[in-house]
Amino acid sequence: MSEDGISKEPMLEMYLFEGNQLVEQLEEIIIKCEKDKKFEMAAINEIFRIMHTIKGSSAMMMFNQIGSVAHSMEDLFFFIRANQNIQLDFVGLSDLVLAGIDFIKAEMNKIEQGNIADGLGDDLIAEIKTMLIQMKNSYENQNTMPATLPDSSPDGAKPKYYISSYKKPSEEKRLDTKYCVEIFFEEDCQMENIRAYMVINNLQDIVKDMYYIPANVIDDGDSADIIREKGFLICFSTSVSYAEVESTLHQTAFLRRMEINQVDQYPDAIKALYGKREIILEDAFEVDPQPKIETAEVGKEGDLGIGNSRQQNIISVSVAKLDMLMDIVGEIVISEAMVTKNSDLAGLQLDGFSKAARQLRKLTDELQDIVMSIRMVPVSIVFQKMNRIVRDMSKKLAKEVDLEIIGDTTEVDKNIIDHLSDPLMHLIRNAMDHGLEKKEDRVKAVKPSKGKVTLEAKNAGGDVLIIVRDDGKGLDREKILNKARERGLVHKPEHELTDKEIFSYILLAGFSTNEQVTEFSGRGVGMDVVTKNIEKIGGSITIESVFGKGTEIFVKIPLTLAIIDGIEVSVGKSRYTIPTISIRESFRIDESDVTSDGDGNEMIMIRGQCYPVLRIHRMFNIKNPVMRISDGIMVMIESDSKTACLFVDKLVGEQQVVVKALPRYLKKVQGIAGCTILGDGGISLILDVNGILERQLS
Amino acid sequence: MNDYVETAEDTQRGKFLTFSIGKEAYGFEIKYVTEIIGIQEITEVPELPDYIKGIINLRGKIIPVIDVRLRFKKEPREYNDRTCIVVIDIRDISVGLIVDHVAEVLVIPPENIVPPPALKTGFHNRYIKGIGKIGSEVKLLLDCDKLLNDEEIDILNSAVE
Amino acid sequence: MGKSVLIVDDAMFMRLTLKLMLEKNGFQVVGEAENGAVAVAKYKELKPDIVTMDITMPEVDGIMALRQIRAMDDKAKVVMVSAMGQEVMIREAVMAGAKSFIVKPFKEEGVIKTLSNL
Repeated sequence: MSEDGISKEPMLEMYLFEGNQLVEQLEEIIIKCEKDKKFEMAAINEIFRIMHTIKGSSAMMMFNQIGSVAHSMEDLFFFIRANQNIQLDFVGLSDLVLAGIDFIKAEMNKIEQGNIADGLGDDLIAEIKTMLIQMKNSYENQNTMPATLPDSSPDGAKPKYYISSYKKPSEEKRLDTKYCVEIFFEEDCQMENIRAYMVINNLQDIVKDMYYIPANVIDDGDSADIIREKGFLICFSTSVSYAEVESTLHQTAFLRRMEINQVDQYPDAIKALYGKREIILEDAFEVDPQPKIETAEVGKEGDLGIGNSRQQNIISVSVAKLDMLMDIVGEIVISEAMVTKNSDLAGLQLDGFSKAARQLRKLTDELQDIVMSIRMVPVSIVFQKMNRIVRDMSKKLAKEVDLEIIGDTTEVDKNIIDHLSDPLMHLIRNAMDHGLEKKEDRVKAVKPSKGKVTLEAKNAGGDVLIIVRDDGKGLDREKILNKARERGLVHKPEHELTDKEIFSYILLAGFSTNEQVTEFSGRGVGMDVVTKNIEKIGGSITIESVFGKGTEIFVKIPLTLAIIDGIEVSVGKSRYTIPTISIRESFRIDESDVTSDGDGNEMIMIRGQCYPVLRIHRMFNIKNPVMRISDGIMVMIESDSKTACLFVDKLVGEQQVVVKALPRYLKKVQGIAGCTILGDGGISLILDVNGILERQLS
Repeated sequence: MNDYVETAEDTQRGKFLTFSIGKEAYGFEIKYVTEIIGIQEITEVPELPDYIKGIINLRGKIIPVIDVRLRFKKEPREYNDRTCIVVIDIRDISVGLIVDHVAEVLVIPPENIVPPPALKTGFHNRYIKGIGKIGSEVKLLLDCDKLLNDEEIDILNSAVE
Repeated sequence: MGKSVLIVDDAMFMRLTLKLMLEKNGFQVVGEAENGAVAVAKYKELKPDIVTMDITMPEVDGIMALRQIRAMDDKAKVVMVSAMGQEVMIREAVMAGAKSFIVKPFKEEGVIKTLSNL
């Protein structure tokens, strides 16, 4: 295909995009069928159709192994579709289809990564074929002849020779000329017999009678081979001009060679055929004059919940384009501020201008909202994938588990969704492997024998909360504390440690209280990677657990990384933006309200609680800040577990800021999340509250 | 298309933007230079090496700026209205270089460029790609790549990952 | 001015592939449809010179759509797109008035020749 000169890139991208989509659809269907313990007609049709599509596209892209696996799967389901009352081995069939899905997924993954799809599907195809044969056998024992795909030639058909009688009743043969045409089609044009049929069809209207060899082009698949080898011979008589005969014949596609000869007599071969064999006269081919408009049954039986119709009003957009759109909208927001808050306008009374500026602001806000919403996708995309994980693990661990999904319509920025999949997979695996007890143990503990894992998503302020909950054996506080102590990870007096803090030890690298390392987890390399991945997208993890009852893991992730509400503050000549959701309150205080301990750490008492005071200018080494407490402002900031008071020079204002990343060239500073461009063109650094609290407080 | 690009590059080859720092004259290939701007307000970013002064807003794009004097461990100087920021772009990284002032663009044919002496001493020798001769003057031609990226920076950057 | 084409196939990939091939060779792709019902509606709206019609599609399949289009316009030029092993259906399509057919996987040359010959 590469000789075609068309860049393969867009086609490859589309192949992978659609392929992945279809495979995911397929997985959903199969898991549902397995759960319901039945294969509805709609599901079978859908599976058949998906395999058919994958087969076709893969063949076009020359990914032959994928195509072959899909083809054999298609054959299997064609058979099932055609023979509805067949006994199905649900488990075996599901496993087989899932194996096929896994193969195709793996190969497509290789292609996505730029590698060669070098997997061999032979074993899998053999398995599928075996199942098909088994089905056919058992079917034969039930009934007579199985229905199969039409390319297998029906056995025992006696060769009949058809001579088409195309005699128009009327005119005599006065001006009729006899022609003999020999046609050779192009090398691999496929289905030469049907091509020949088209020639016959095309000639219909202009000939009086017509004879051809091979004669049985329509039903006999072998005739294609004969035509390929020996060519197609067709003889007819007609009263139209030679020119018309020629032009009609030249309409034939894939014509390699054609010889048109005017003859006085039909050749012996034709005569022989005509004379000796059984002649079955066919009626003139008719097109049904009133085609009935049938509306096919859309898979209405059993709502699969995966209907194609939902695709109708949706178009697929490349994420790169969306990113560009987001960037530009962000720039517009900044530019709008630079225009309306321009220092040139300071102090001027501009009523008309202000009114217009407000309108502009309103519109840019709306534009921003809409673009942001385009990027939001429901978490169901990631959540539904977990069904497969639970199913597979449930089998491997021999634990019966129910996966409950709540709130999967909750939406999250596309950028973030991609980073959720792996962490969630790990958390669910953990829950199943270590959280849930074996059946016997559950029964002993008077719990339902089926374990339950809940995956929930809900909005919480400016964040999305994702909860992985299991009703397993919970975390052992003492054990964790001991291990932490062993590893020297305990820096606070133990009686001061909250449960949350103790549980969060398991998020540290190398921390695993498991004696056994299983295939899936327990090596202690998992949770810290999960934490890192979540933190990368600006999120955080907290854990709650009740020993004997279960564990809950809370993953908090920001709704979006791109735009936040912030309070602008100044410290010395520098300006900082503090995300509004991390601010509890701000206030002025006196020197006397601040106390220091022996090490120079400052703190203040607010409503009976003691909070550390963090001086930004000290943290970031800023020159010429306000030094006296009474001259500055305290801003109380909080993360999940810590709270502190930030001392700044003054509060400048509240605004919505577009988050820009710091240049990659610079190393990451803990406590700085990024920056934003202010209305006057200056730059304000955005504080990462979690980071600040981490670095300053133990 | 390809021909056009090559010609453009060709016309840039051998052309160097020269600037001075104290008594030394330096230059680097003009093909890396995207623009030259006057000194403007620099926003400090904490915890960076001293020669990275901070970041600036270049028409909506945030780029870091390096003080070349400090990079070469020379005495820092106050910025005045002759101080310039030369914005260079290498391998998709944009950085501004603060220099005392920009001299001119010179064509230095390859014959007039000799490799630097292989001295073991001298801090900034490793950034020098060659020594160019123009008439009686000598310009130290810098390797921009090395200027931006060397082990020091890599070590610092690895903390990011 | 190239001939106008309506591409009908339920697979996005196939529609894209055909579109690229045809546009490269001077044909004008004026519309796409993902099932037979949409195909008939679009045919009515766009009146293309040629229609490429996939045989297997959900809801209304290629042959049904072919019949409906031919009923609306007996001069309609429809080229069926099929997979291997669908001889019976192709025959049915030809009998219902399809002008020609191409078989997947197809090569650009064959497609263009077929459409140019119509």
